[in-house]
Amino acid sequence: MSIRLQLLAVALTTLVLPWAGCQYARELETALRGSQEESLLASAGTIANALSAQPQRVFRDPGDLAAFSAAAGDLYVYPLPTQPLLDGYRQDWNISASPAPMPTSTGYHARLQAGSTERYLYLYVEVDDAHFDAQPNGARPGQNRFDRVELTLQGSEGAPITYFFATNAPGLIPAQLVVKDDGVEHVAPESRIQAFWLQTSAGYHLEARIPLSFVAQRLWVEAIDGSGNGRCGADPATSPQGGRLFSTTSGLDSLLSTFVREGTRVTVIDANALKLGTAGSLRASLPGDADDSALTWYRYFIGADTSNMPIVANSPDHFGGDSVRDALQGHPHAQWVQGGGNLDLLLTAAAPILIDGQPRGAVVLEQSADQLLSLRDRAGSRLFNLTLLATACAVVIMLGFATWISMRIGRLGAAADSAVGSDGRIRLKMPESSSADEIGALARGFERLLARLNEHTQYLRTLGGKLSHELRTPLTIVRSSLDNLESEGLRDDQLRYITRAREGTARLQSILSALGAAARVEEIIKQSERVSFDLCELLASAVAAYRDGFPDARFTLELPEGASFVRGAPDLIAQLLDKLIENAVDFCPPGGAISVRLERIQTNYVLQVGNDGPLIGETLMGHLFESLFEQRAGRDDKPHFGLGLYIVRLIAEFHGGTAAAANRADGGGVVFSITLPMI
Amino acid sequence: MPIVANDGNGCGQAAFSYHSFMKKQIAIVEDEPALRENYAAALARHGYFIKTYGNRRLAMQAFNARLPDLAIIDISLEDEAEGGFDLCRDLRALSAELPIIFLTARDSELDAVSGLRLGADDFLTKDVSLPHLAARVAALFRRIDALRRPDNAAEILRRGALSVDGEKMQTTWNNIPVTLSLTEFWIVHALARNPGHVKNRQQLMDAANVVLDDNTITSHIKRVRRKFQQVDASFDAIQTVYGMGYRWVE
Repeated sequence: MSIRLQLLAVALTTLVLPWAGCQYARELETALRGSQEESLLASAGTIANALSAQPQRVFRDPGDLAAFSAAAGDLYVYPLPTQPLLDGYRQDWNISASPAPMPTSTGYHARLQAGSTERYLYLYVEVDDAHFDAQPNGARPGQNRFDRVELTLQGSEGAPITYFFATNAPGLIPAQLVVKDDGVEHVAPESRIQAFWLQTSAGYHLEARIPLSFVAQRLWVEAIDGSGNGRCGADPATSPQGGRLFSTTSGLDSLLSTFVREGTRVTVIDANALKLGTAGSLRASLPGDADDSALTWYRYFIGADTSNMPIVANSPDHFGGDSVRDALQGHPHAQWVQGGGNLDLLLTAAAPILIDGQPRGAVVLEQSADQLLSLRDRAGSRLFNLTLLATACAVVIMLGFATWISMRIGRLGAAADSAVGSDGRIRLKMPESSSADEIGALARGFERLLARLNEHTQYLRTLGGKLSHELRTPLTIVRSSLDNLESEGLRDDQLRYITRAREGTARLQSILSALGAAARVEEIIKQSERVSFDLCELLASAVAAYRDGFPDARFTLELPEGASFVRGAPDLIAQLLDKLIENAVDFCPPGGAISVRLERIQTNYVLQVGNDGPLIGETLMGHLFESLFEQRAGRDDKPHFGLGLYIVRLIAEFHGGTAAAANRADGGGVVFSITLPMI
Repeated sequence: MPIVANDGNGCGQAAFSYHSFMKKQIAIVEDEPALRENYAAALARHGYFIKTYGNRRLAMQAFNARLPDLAIIDISLEDEAEGGFDLCRDLRALSAELPIIFLTARDSELDAVSGLRLGADDFLTKDVSLPHLAARVAALFRRIDALRRPDNAAEILRRGALSVDGEKMQTTWNNIPVTLSLTEFWIVHALARNPGHVKNRQQLMDAANVVLDDNTITSHIKRVRRKFQQVDASFDAIQTVYGMGYRWVE
């Protein structure tokens, strides 16, 4: 793994910043939520206190403490924003709640819903009665059997008046009532109370409109089947008081609207959790909120988990949920809930309206979390963006830094690799060594190491010469002693040992001579004079001599046309050739050929001496021309100190040329090339 | 028993003064005692009277009193790295004819050139064997004797402008003397005797009674050429046959 990748991985740890940002945003949200709860609860409490001081403006009948009972015929009257059309359909009431089933004991089912505008009370009755029993003309209830809906209203003068709706022709009909005229009961229409009878396959719908002036606190609604004993609804007999009407308190909405802040909805409920009044709307547009949708993806990262919050479905008429329940028991409570059709997050805060110390109702404040989310999103997204930017910067900087570092190390590595050149020379200067940091220290360490290596190499290079020089005197003592001993007139067996000792000294002598060869060549080079001479002539003459000198080897010679003059020392070139040929002869297998070839390439002569011997390993290639480099596997009678090719190099360099070795492209041997510049 | 006396100071004295009148006297100036004694013993066996000296001071004292017939000098003498050169110079100042041989472990070209320029007759490295050394000493004495006798034309080898006197070991080119060291003389002599024949290095070494490596032969040849070229700039009678050796061309 390269340094760059490593540092990139390190840089990626800065991704913890956005993560921390998310955590921070979440905590911020929690804190905001807490403070929002408190403030909303405080508002609810304030409103509740204000309202408890004027209960008559809040409650229809502050003294009526009995609980809402649908079985007893109690009816909630929805406030209708517009006048609905009398057509038998309630779609235009715009009330999401379904009509409530009417109490029944006969298995005859009907459903009832009430609504009111400022002038009228509307009733909607849905009766499941597939058989239509029409009202004969002028027929009275009890006289004939026909389907009808009876409505008993508590008259203003105190006596209840019962109206009934029935028809023989569905459509717009007036309410009818039985009047006694001169002791004769007959049916009379009350045209101020209008209804629409809509016959359907499952039964009939009745939508009735009653002026509010007819309506007092209580009423009875009954649906009666014409053909059987089926009836439903709380009839006056079972519910003598009749059903109470629970409606919103008129004027309360406008009163509440004075308390409302933007984005909140205030609702007052009675002890039955039924709405008495409401004001305000949840949706509030914040300035600069247009990019709301673009922000939502952050919520995926930073939003608090809301899925475990309670789902509270508020029906249009009453409220549910813990906060409302607590408030109606006298304890203010705030709660986050998921509500509405698309489960938006809502904060509900409910505070009880206490009258004489008893909770008579509650103020419910609702606030959408949108505002909060929007605040959080803005803070969060900014934080997220900033930290992401910081991370990106860190990654880029780290990457750049890593590239720089790895480039420097790479340069140092390359320099270290090539510090010992193919010619065996040691380059003592390293890149980066002037840097003050650890890489610079490394480079300086390399330089020190190379300097020591260089000293060592220099020492080794001169060691041969020194040894050969220093050993010469003792060797001479041995040999001259042997010479003297020999002339003492020894016996034959004694002479035998003398001869052996002499052979030993001769070998020692040749070893010393070989060891000192490089030093001598270096010295000769210093004193050599340069002359111009024909390389072709030299080669031709020398190769002819080699053919005689090495009768077992096969030599081929290729020369260019004409004379090839170079400037230098012909004796040294001959010595160079000697070394190359000796080397080639040593390595060339029996029967192999030694090729000597001279070429003109651009401004140089290239002398190539090739043999069919074993290839040179890649790792050895660069070291062949170094001093004291010897890699001969086999041993022969001649001492080898790895100086031959070093001498070749010395001589080539004296002539301003180079020496190189290469394996033949076809793998069939090795070629040593000496490049010498033309005159 | 070699006729050598040693007083322990590195200075040998003749045991019998009678002999000292009869025999050629050779002075060996060499700071290595073992080597000095070996040389002395070998040469004494050949019938010479040997005096040995360990340093330049002792040697010079003795030379001022009496000159030897031949001096063999090492270059580095005890603490004087070039004491032999100084000694050679002083000795040459005392006598122009005294044969002087440098015998040294130092084999650099520079040392050889310096030694021969100071007037030494030969420059030998210590690789030389004792018989070879004796042969040289004998050759030098023979030359001195020959120089004292009248000319003997039979010994003179003539090759064009070259004339080589094998007895007196004198070489001339166009009748101008060319001063050669003993080794150089023998090399020239060997080459000139059979003109056109290639003499390889071994043959030249045998002729010169030396064991030398190839490079030293090369530098001897180079020196010989230069000496002839000082006399005649167009001299090119010694030809290199690369890979083989050298030949004399007329």
